[in-house]
Amino acid sequence: MQVIEDNPQETTQADIVVGIPSYNEADRIAFPTQRADEGLRQFFADRSAVILNCDNNSPDGTREAFLGAPTQTPKIYLSTPDNIRGKGYNIRNLIRKAVDLSAKAVIVLDADLKSITPRWIRNLGEPIFEDSHYVAPLYVRHKYEGPVTNNIAYPLTRALYGRRIRQPIGGEFGFSGEMARKFAETEEWDEAVLNFGIDVWMSTTAMRSGVEMTQSFMGGPRIHEIKDTAAGTAQIFRNVVGTIFQLMRGHETFWREVKWSKPTAIFGFGLGEIEVPPPVKVDADALWNEFDVGVRSQADMYTAILKPECHEKLLEVAGLPREAFEFPTVLWAQVIYDFAWAYKNQVFPHEDLLTGLMPLFYGKTLSFVLETEAMNTHQVEEIIEEQCLQFEKTKPYLLERWFSG
Amino acid sequence: MAKILVVDDEEGIRMLYSMELEDEGYEVVTLSDGKDLLKIVKREAPDCIVLDIKMKEYSGLDLLQEIRKKHYDLPVILNSAYSSFKVDLKSVAADYYVVKSSDLAELKDRIKIALETRIPGK
Repeated sequence: MQVIEDNPQETTQADIVVGIPSYNEADRIAFPTQRADEGLRQFFADRSAVILNCDNNSPDGTREAFLGAPTQTPKIYLSTPDNIRGKGYNIRNLIRKAVDLSAKAVIVLDADLKSITPRWIRNLGEPIFEDSHYVAPLYVRHKYEGPVTNNIAYPLTRALYGRRIRQPIGGEFGFSGEMARKFAETEEWDEAVLNFGIDVWMSTTAMRSGVEMTQSFMGGPRIHEIKDTAAGTAQIFRNVVGTIFQLMRGHETFWREVKWSKPTAIFGFGLGEIEVPPPVKVDADALWNEFDVGVRSQADMYTAILKPECHEKLLEVAGLPREAFEFPTVLWAQVIYDFAWAYKNQVFPHEDLLTGLMPLFYGKTLSFVLETEAMNTHQVEEIIEEQCLQFEKTKPYLLERWFSG
Repeated sequence: MAKILVVDDEEGIRMLYSMELEDEGYEVVTLSDGKDLLKIVKREAPDCIVLDIKMKEYSGLDLLQEIRKKHYDLPVILNSAYSSFKVDLKSVAADYYVVKSSDLAELKDRIKIALETRIPGK
């Protein structure tokens, strides 16, 4: 695939590459670009660096906005050709260019970040120079933010691959030059990964590779442009869950052998005050309606996919009154594992499977919201850790289902 | 037989845990403070450490970071009468955090899990 490149300072080598993937971010991209520049000058002044925008040929002037943002660090603009869209394509271009530049560290930032400070560059980059090969972020997040992460991505990737990465689909992360070469050599650049499954593909590839990983505390909350929340969550759900299920097929030899999980090193604790994240509103009525309607409209799929004991329990849950609604995590784990099996065996077309799973995801999310209503952030984190342990304890259910056909 | 190192500055806790964990079939070594912890770990080569947090002269959270620098994969279970230390990010480096109780069922369960943990390639 042709890559469009604009390298005004003719940079051919950089110890550190800060990559900012984008599509139509002309109004927003200058901010993270300039914060990255400040961070590089403040914390890595002794290292060569470049800031790289990997774009999907945005028609709104993103290229001009990026190249026009005043920085002392050189900049490179890369783009896919017209009509090629997807964050995965952007990240692939970034990875290949980082390898060409002989980068020792690559830091990735989302283009619409509003809360980034120069210190984020340090926190994502420094662990790499201390022998970590993959750095995932740790944010302060509101308890209702990140339902796909809290209820599926974190517990499932942890149970499968044995590594505790709290934000496996965080938009900001770092990796070493060596890890970049591993990513570049992969044969797994399929449609799901090239579109928007790239974040979870990268984090789970790092988990499987046995490299040293770090979780770096960003200190502040992650604030970014809020797009349509309901539609955004649905799209994230499809991309992330579809990619995780897809990768399970290719890596069953690995995750079959994983028992329980190990903690991951932390960087950046004790670095100043922790800010309170902005509140997140939840429409509990909408969640209930999606679950209630979906359970009936997808009844045939659930009968076909869920093991009888799991299906029976789901019907019990579906019969609970709204005021007493609870979706136990063990049941949720069994549902996920049954759907993963169904995805592997194409019991239904993949897109239909993900559509069928969504009402149950909304039900689980509602249950989580109700359970944690009166809790603070730390108490909610304990609930999430307990959910993860339930996914791990339920793994024999997955093993039995998956490997017995 | 797996060897468990129990680090706690209270004699009663060390005695109780020794008795209960030996009944489970473990070999138990105890330590009353964090002094020379790394030397003891090197000498005894435990399979798992149960580590108190609030000790007179040492913080279990700081000791945990020291252990992790030398023994990244050694299971460490933080054990405290206080759940409040969970808010300290340093505690994330532990395999598990168990609040002290007269019923050791949860501690025994976490020790069992920690000893069974297996990640290919590590």
